[in-house]
Amino acid sequence: MKNVRIIAGICWAIAGLILIIILFPGLNSFSVSFSKLPFMKLNPRYTGGEIATQLISEKCTLDIRKPVFSGLLKERNSGFVQLDWHGTVPGIIKDSIDYDNDGKKDFCIEVNRAKSESGIQLYNSKVKKILISTPASYGWAVRVGLSKE
Amino acid sequence: MDNSLKTVALRKSFGKSLLYTLPMFLITFMFITGGKPNFSDPASGLAMLTVFLLVNVLYFSMHFTGKTDKYRAILFIIFAMSLSYTLIHNMLQVRQSMSFSQADILECKIPFCHLVIPMMILPAAFTKSIIFPGSIIGGFANISSMVVLWVIATIVLGRGFCSWGCFYGGWDDGFSRLRKRRVIKNISELWKWMPFAVLIMVMLSAALTLMPTYCSWICPFKAVTEFEKVTSVESATKAGIFLSLFGGLVIALPVMTKKRTQCSFLCPLGAINSLSNKITPFTVKIDKNSCNECFKCVEVCPLFAITREDVKKGNVSLFCSKCGKCVDACSRKAIHYGIKGIPAGTMKNFSRNLFLFVSFLFMAIFSSGSIISTFQGLFKLIF
Repeated sequence: MKNVRIIAGICWAIAGLILIIILFPGLNSFSVSFSKLPFMKLNPRYTGGEIATQLISEKCTLDIRKPVFSGLLKERNSGFVQLDWHGTVPGIIKDSIDYDNDGKKDFCIEVNRAKSESGIQLYNSKVKKILISTPASYGWAVRVGLSKE
Repeated sequence: MDNSLKTVALRKSFGKSLLYTLPMFLITFMFITGGKPNFSDPASGLAMLTVFLLVNVLYFSMHFTGKTDKYRAILFIIFAMSLSYTLIHNMLQVRQSMSFSQADILECKIPFCHLVIPMMILPAAFTKSIIFPGSIIGGFANISSMVVLWVIATIVLGRGFCSWGCFYGGWDDGFSRLRKRRVIKNISELWKWMPFAVLIMVMLSAALTLMPTYCSWICPFKAVTEFEKVTSVESATKAGIFLSLFGGLVIALPVMTKKRTQCSFLCPLGAINSLSNKITPFTVKIDKNSCNECFKCVEVCPLFAITREDVKKGNVSLFCSKCGKCVDACSRKAIHYGIKGIPAGTMKNFSRNLFLFVSFLFMAIFSSGSIISTFQGLFKLIF
């Protein structure tokens, strides 16, 4: 029994040695395989959610993303909707948004990019306030707070 | 206690040490130079050569002198400092600032580090998603690669990751070596359970808020990597916490106690790594037949991993990071690197040689990129 334990221990240690030797040359393929696991995707709180609607104007495109209410076990009451302007974004952005696709405008957002000032007019009680309004590498991004009730 | 027992000599002759270094020499040559040293950029070539020689001289010295901790610590501390240098240099080039903006978060451009892993577990299980604004695959410090590196290193080294792989540990390890004597001597060992409390707290808070709360509010290493731009009372409070914890747990307390206090009292990943010590093949063993209970190992252990009771029982606790400090301090070589299944006091040289090869190889390859980049920057400054 003692010898079996010794041999098992040595085998496990040598397996460890092999694992470390193949770790770095195989890191790319291990990482790609690992990234395909079902949980290896970013939470919508970080990505901003999937794009629900794209409003394309002459030089600028506005992506309205799906509202995000993600929680641990169930959706939360409060969340946000993310808007991304990309392309040649005008100095002053003014857009009325229907985030829930019910045919009614829910809020109007106005951004002065030069002054980094943002304002919002609310038409829907579920829309709360601007959470983030920031320049991004692709143009401008805004997150507007929402509640479910 | 039989005091006539011979201690095992871990020191090797010059030739034998060279022979033991040869596999490390060949493997690190392949990994560091890619098999083809390129001197077209002299600074880059010189940096590569310096790092290659540095790691091999350190590994050779471990065999030649029979000492582990001193040479491990040299690379470990250089790794920590160079990683911070590389990260800060990279951020200054890309963002002209050490702070990241809201846009960086929205665009998921934040480099991932292993300290986020404990907070990912519950949300990944329940929401099937990762709660970190980084890149899943591709780009600098992506989530997939860092998790794979940590998982494999932790399975093989257990909490050894904290002394052979963690690119933050070198900071408090370095500061804990600055003074010759301790100013604060009596610290309750109960504090070593604190990382488990922090672990539970950050896992639950991250699950409830779906935010990496430790990174957002507590991580002391934000002070030497990157942090949220100070634009509000909240971000100023966070910056204050990061700096205070870095100043207290990474600089002041390690200097005064000669212990790695951040690793011992705060790090939630250290708690998980401690548990992984149960499965790793490598361990530190106490040969009760050789031990004269001088308790030098208890005194020098930087992580409170050995108590007097542990020595009397002949066990090292699960907090051990296999740094080698106790092994070096033991005049009778009663405490030694071991392999699970092999009884204490036997096959000491074999166990040490195998452990050193595995752990040092991991650290040498993992650290080489950032150390080369740092040396390259230094050489460009000098020449």
